[in-house]
Amino acid sequence: MKTIALVAALGLAVGVASACTGDGAAPAGTITLAESGSPFIAFDVWVKAGSQNDPAGKEGLAFLTAQLLSDGSTRQDSYQAIIEKLYPMAAGYGASVDKEMTVFRGVVHRDNLDAYYTLFRNAMLSPAFSEEDFNRVKAQLLNYVERGRRFNRDEELSKELLYWMAYQGTPYAHPVEGYVESVRSITPDDVRDFYARFYARNNVVVGIGGGYPDGFVQRVRADFDALPEATVEPVDAPHPAMPDGAKILIVEKQTDASAISMGFPTPLLRSDPDFAEMSLVNSWFGEHRSSFSHLYNVIREKRGMNYGDYSYIEPFPRGYATQERPVNYARRSNLFEIWIRPISGTGPDDLHDRTLFATRAAWRELDALVKNGLPEDQVERARLYLHNFSVTYGSTVSRRLAYRVDDAFFGLPEPGYLASIRPGLEKLTPASVKAAIDRNLQSRNMWVVFVTSNAEALKAKLLSGEPTFIRYQAEQPPEIVAEDQEIASFPIPVTADDITVLDIGEVFETGR
Amino acid sequence: MRRLQRLALLGVAAAAGMVPPPGPASPQEPAGIFPFEYRRVELENGFRAYLIHAGAPGQIAYVSVVRTGARDEVEPGRTGYAHFFEHMMFRGTKKYPAYDAVIEKMGAFRNASTSNDQTQYYMVAASEYLEQIVDLESDRFMNLDYSEAGFRTEAGAILGEYQQGAYSAYSILDRTVRETAFRKHTYRHQTIGLEADVRAMPEGYDYSRDFFHRFYRPENVVLVLAGDFDFDQAAGLIEQYYGGWEPGYQAPAVPVEPEQTAKRTATVRYNGRTLPILSYNWKAPAWSPTDTRAVATEVLGLVAFGPNSEVYRRLVIQDQRLQSLRAGFGLDRDPTLVSLSATVANPTDVDAMRTELDAAVARARDDLADPKVLADTKSALKYGFLMRLETAQGVAFSLIGPIVSTGTLEAVNDYYRTLESLTAEDIRDAARAILVDRGLTQVTLLQAERRP
Repeated sequence: MKTIALVAALGLAVGVASACTGDGAAPAGTITLAESGSPFIAFDVWVKAGSQNDPAGKEGLAFLTAQLLSDGSTRQDSYQAIIEKLYPMAAGYGASVDKEMTVFRGVVHRDNLDAYYTLFRNAMLSPAFSEEDFNRVKAQLLNYVERGRRFNRDEELSKELLYWMAYQGTPYAHPVEGYVESVRSITPDDVRDFYARFYARNNVVVGIGGGYPDGFVQRVRADFDALPEATVEPVDAPHPAMPDGAKILIVEKQTDASAISMGFPTPLLRSDPDFAEMSLVNSWFGEHRSSFSHLYNVIREKRGMNYGDYSYIEPFPRGYATQERPVNYARRSNLFEIWIRPISGTGPDDLHDRTLFATRAAWRELDALVKNGLPEDQVERARLYLHNFSVTYGSTVSRRLAYRVDDAFFGLPEPGYLASIRPGLEKLTPASVKAAIDRNLQSRNMWVVFVTSNAEALKAKLLSGEPTFIRYQAEQPPEIVAEDQEIASFPIPVTADDITVLDIGEVFETGR
Repeated sequence: MRRLQRLALLGVAAAAGMVPPPGPASPQEPAGIFPFEYRRVELENGFRAYLIHAGAPGQIAYVSVVRTGARDEVEPGRTGYAHFFEHMMFRGTKKYPAYDAVIEKMGAFRNASTSNDQTQYYMVAASEYLEQIVDLESDRFMNLDYSEAGFRTEAGAILGEYQQGAYSAYSILDRTVRETAFRKHTYRHQTIGLEADVRAMPEGYDYSRDFFHRFYRPENVVLVLAGDFDFDQAAGLIEQYYGGWEPGYQAPAVPVEPEQTAKRTATVRYNGRTLPILSYNWKAPAWSPTDTRAVATEVLGLVAFGPNSEVYRRLVIQDQRLQSLRAGFGLDRDPTLVSLSATVANPTDVDAMRTELDAAVARARDDLADPKVLADTKSALKYGFLMRLETAQGVAFSLIGPIVSTGTLEAVNDYYRTLESLTAEDIRDAARAILVDRGLTQVTLLQAERRP
């Protein structure tokens, strides 16, 4: 009962929207998380718009709008003056933009609350939309889409490409940062229009947490109520198609290692009854950056093939940079995703054999999971792990608040997701776990992305269906040798039509 | 006969387990900036632990800092071993052959990292597991046991780790800067090691055992335990479990870098797409909490080139001829480099931007800093420190730098006292001593010509 102890000790009180009235009640359009003993105040302002709202040909607009607000002048202060004022507080604010949500987040020490809040509020409520700021922010974004995204981390690129493939034809398809061509076309007027359409008082929810003073929440909400109202057309939730068999994208790039991402759509959302079961399944199978991950055990721990191997039931951008679960990436559609970290060649001409071996190993493990479920001892093992580990999810007031905002997105009732993890774990059984696997996972159909060199050779190897063995630096025990036989020839049934090859220079150049 | 010393050194009132209010930015009380109640435990074998009450109730952060990093890799062909060793530390002992299986049951958040000067192992867990953690951690630091087969397998994971970061423009630039600036000192190589050494790692089993016995010794390891626990109980456990650890640390003969006498330059052609990057790197002193010159050097980077500086405002915000300007003036255990790196927005503007940056460097040597900018910078550094103290892990991590360089936590308070005393003249003196051509390594990264 660690979570409950924590809640009690911090004098924590939660209010959501207009759920409660009376003394200290949260006004409509606010989410509060009072922790009176904390010297920090956290903000999490949720604008109900994201990249799904980008107009066609203007992909990246939601992102650029939010960046311009968080990184630009206001009608009160130039960007330079804002930097100058924030600097001695060692505080800042930033915007994160995902498919469905834009969130402005910041934390400040209570000594500096008033000065900080004024800057934070002005950034969203009275942006200057100055042309110089626009040019600076757009140039930075263009540099990222033209160069950084394609020439920095292939593994992050492969994940982005997986989403692009799986969500073709839906508003989730394009990367949040847009395409090279679409970002080039964005004008200051586009940004002003986007702001006017979505930064409306009925479309913005204000989250405030920590040791804020009495009356502060009411003051903040009153400020945000100065925004005009707007009619926001809802965007239908995407219904991505299941691929028929294996559909493979190979990106040709000069590199010594292959990046691999694979996955398929799953109906699972955090608000679903299956979520506790699937959290446990995913944790057992591929807990992020953890040696507890079964995939990690098979591919890295036993075979030393790469740096790590994980799976996901919710988006986890920039997983290379953090072990903490991301917050404010709530979506109405998810992929089940497998991330195999870069596989390098260890000798001449073995890069593709190793790439396919690792892919087959992961796919084969998924196949076994889908067929067999989890034995009782493994359910118990994962349950105990998550029971303890999940305490770290809400490590700071800022994160606890962000989880409450995500709760509102999913319509989760009190006491919210963090507090429901342990009760959910306690209830589940091996049978309910198997039933959840049956409803949410499968192993027949898969989107697969490789970023590698000599793409045509990899394509030919895939089409040949030949087994792909690996060599070791040390003698392996017989059970590994035997298992390798099965892995190396695990079928990936494909024809030439199932495989697309793109040059890195074509990737995310245009949405057309 | 291990004698335990328990020293209660500082007692700023703080509700047990809660984050205390750090107080306003302006002058700190003489007691120091560090706002938590703590104790120092020292064992006869040289092992030292800091016990700190901080963070949320019911949790602890357990951070073991080994004062050995890439800096200590002095033998040719053995770069990357400090980091490789970090991986091997998870491969078990006779008592606990499956280290991670124990961690898993606790649901602890665990990881480790290696850098120039240190290797750190950390864990965040429920307080109820304290004794189990002390047992587990002391056991692997004293009795690590792994097979050659396990060692060879792990070498493959290291190669994978090398690959995931090796090809970005910044990584290639960093390798060139190090190799150009350092001729002898081990800061010449990146923590991950040289690629050839990483590829040869499977053959290094015996060397790895030797590495362990030389460096993983009580005199070379400092424990930071932050969180919610009982001081006496924790101190007792530390004595019980770490007391039997045999000393025997052998300090490596880290080569002294010969004094640089003239400016060095290099150009890198990057094989992907990139904007030009101008990188300035000057030889700078070792980190010190009490040396005015050292602390002034760190402040100089922010004052002269930070987001509040004249050159940043003009070239990044107003004219936008630079897409970014970053000053990395943090110091290390040994004399190191301080760096300024600028991404040039227009590839034809490289020479003009170099002239502009040269002029900004000259102004840092000639002019006194604006008093407000200096005062705001001191405030930013202090608040930056205090803002990291929300969690037990944040508290423990904020102490690692001082502990690595000096071996003590008290250096934190010394550092912020020195910072408070700095004058604009101190900053200019640092600029005149550091930002000089004879200490400069200038590297330019450009996109390679397109293939036909």
